[in-house]
Amino acid sequence: MISVQGLHKYFGSLKVLNGIDCEIKAQEVVVVIGPSGSGKSTFLRCLNQLEEATAGRVVVDGVEITDPQCDINKVRQRVGMVFQRFNLFPHMNVLKNIALAPVKVKGLPQEEAEQIARELLAKVGLLDNAEALPDELSGGQQQRVAIARALAMQPKIMLFDEPTSALDPEMVGEVLAVMKSLAREGMTMVVVTHEMGFAREVADRVIFMDEGLIVEEGAPEAIFKNPQHPRTQAFLSKIL
Amino acid sequence: MEILNLYLTHLMKAAPALLRGALITIEITAMSVFFGTLIGLVVGLGRLSPSKLLSRLAAVYVDVIRGTPLLVQVFIIYFGIPALLTQLSEPGHTVRIAPFMAAIIACSINSGAYVAEIFRAGIQSVEKGQMEAARSLGMTRGQAMRYIILPQAFRRVVPPLGNEFIALMKDTSILSAIGVEELVRKGQLYVSVTYQPFPIYVGIALVYLVLTVTISRWVAYTERRLGVK
Ligand SMILES: Nc1ncnc2c1ncn2[C@@H]1O[C@H](COP(=O)(O)OP(=O)(O)O)[C@@H](O)[C@H]1O
Ligand SMILES: [Mg+2]
Repeated sequence: MISVQGLHKYFGSLKVLNGIDCEIKAQEVVVVIGPSGSGKSTFLRCLNQLEEATAGRVVVDGVEITDPQCDINKVRQRVGMVFQRFNLFPHMNVLKNIALAPVKVKGLPQEEAEQIARELLAKVGLLDNAEALPDELSGGQQQRVAIARALAMQPKIMLFDEPTSALDPEMVGEVLAVMKSLAREGMTMVVVTHEMGFAREVADRVIFMDEGLIVEEGAPEAIFKNPQHPRTQAFLSKIL
Repeated sequence: MEILNLYLTHLMKAAPALLRGALITIEITAMSVFFGTLIGLVVGLGRLSPSKLLSRLAAVYVDVIRGTPLLVQVFIIYFGIPALLTQLSEPGHTVRIAPFMAAIIACSINSGAYVAEIFRAGIQSVEKGQMEAARSLGMTRGQAMRYIILPQAFRRVVPPLGNEFIALMKDTSILSAIGVEELVRKGQLYVSVTYQPFPIYVGIALVYLVLTVTISRWVAYTERRLGVK
C-alpha cells in the first residue's frame, strides 16, 4: 500500500531524513516511535507530500507521489491525516467541518455528505455535537471530530501524527478507542505516538526512528521486550 | 456674540454647497474602497502566490505606491498620463480625463496597495495547520484559500480595513488640488468669495468627523456581527 525507497529530506542544509526504506501492506497498523526531532513527523508528512521529498521514491496506493507529474490532490483523497493540534476549521460547525471536503473535492451533494458526516459522528460518539463549533468542544472531542473529518473522504490509509500528545490525560483514552476500532476494521494506519500501550495492543509492527533513519523495526513484543540496537534500548528505557 | 452669529449665518449659507461636496467625498471614497479592495485582494493573493514572478510584481506594486505621495500619484494620472497620450497621438488631438474619474482611479490604485498588505498579513495570520488540514483532504490550494483561509482572514482584517477606509476618506481632501469639487474644494470656493475661512473650515472639519465616526461605528458593528476576537 505504501512503498518508500531511499527517502531523503533536507530543510535547507539541515538533513532530517537520511535514507528511509519502508514497505507497508494493506490493513497493516504501523506505529512509529523515536526521540523528538528524529524526523517522525517529516517522514509521515512525506507520505502525503505535505513535505516534498528531497530524494527517493514514495509510492502510495500504486501512485508514485514523488513523480512531479502525479496528481497529488487525487492521492490525498485516499490518505487521511490527523494532526497533533487537530486543525479543525474554527469558522464552521462540526458537521460542516466533516462534510466540506466530500462536497467540494468529491462533488457529493450536500445532503449526502451530511448524512455521511452524521454516521461518522455517531461512530466517534459525537452525534449530539453536530451543530457545535470546534471551540466549544474539549480536546478529545475535537480530535475525534478530526478523525471523522478525515474518514469522510473514505480514505484507504490514515496517518496519525501524535494524535493524543496535545490532550489532557483523561481524554487520551477516548481518542485511542476510536483509533483501535478503526484498526480492527482493517484500516491501513501509520501512527506516530508515545502511547506504548496502544502500540502493544494494535500495532502489527513498530518502527524505531533516530536521526532520520529507521534504526530498528519489528513486532511490538520483540521491540519492547527485546530491543537489539543500543539506541532503541536507551530510548525505551527512558519512556517505559 | 455678534461674531458667532455672523459665523453661523455663513455656515448656513455655505451648507448646501458643503453637503454637495460631502456627497462627492462619499462617492469617491465608496468607489475607491470597492475597487481598492478588489485590487488589494488580487495583489495580496499575488504577493503570497507560489509563483516568484507574481509575488515579485505584487511586491513592486506595493512598494511603489506606498513609497510615493498620493498627491503625486493623482498628478501623474490627471496631468501626466493624458499629456503623454496627447504627445503620442496625432497632432491636434488632445487627451483629457475628468477630475472625478482621475480621482477614483488614483485613490483605488493607492488604497489597493495598503489593502493588499492588510490582506497579506490577515492571510498569514491564519495558522499553517489550517492550510495543511485542507490540503490533506485533497483540496487544491485555491479551494483551501477560498473555503478555509480567506473566511478566517476576512474576520481578522475588518479592523485594519476600517482604519484604511477612514484614512482614505480623509486623504480624498487632497483631490481639491485637481479641482474635484469635493468637500474641501467646495469650502475653498466659498471662502474665496466671502473671506470667512474660520467658520467654513471648522464646519468642514466637523463634517469629516461625522463621516469618519460613522465609518468606525459601522466597522465596530461588523466586527461584532462577525464575532471578531
Ligand atoms: N519546516 C521545517 N523547516 C525547518 N526545519 C524543520 C521543519 N520541520 C521540521 N524541521 C526540523 O526537522 C527535524 C525533525 O523534525 P520532525 O520530523 O518534526 O521530528 P519529530 O516529529 O520526530 O519530533 C527537527 O530538527 C526539526 O527542527
Ligand atoms: Mg513530530
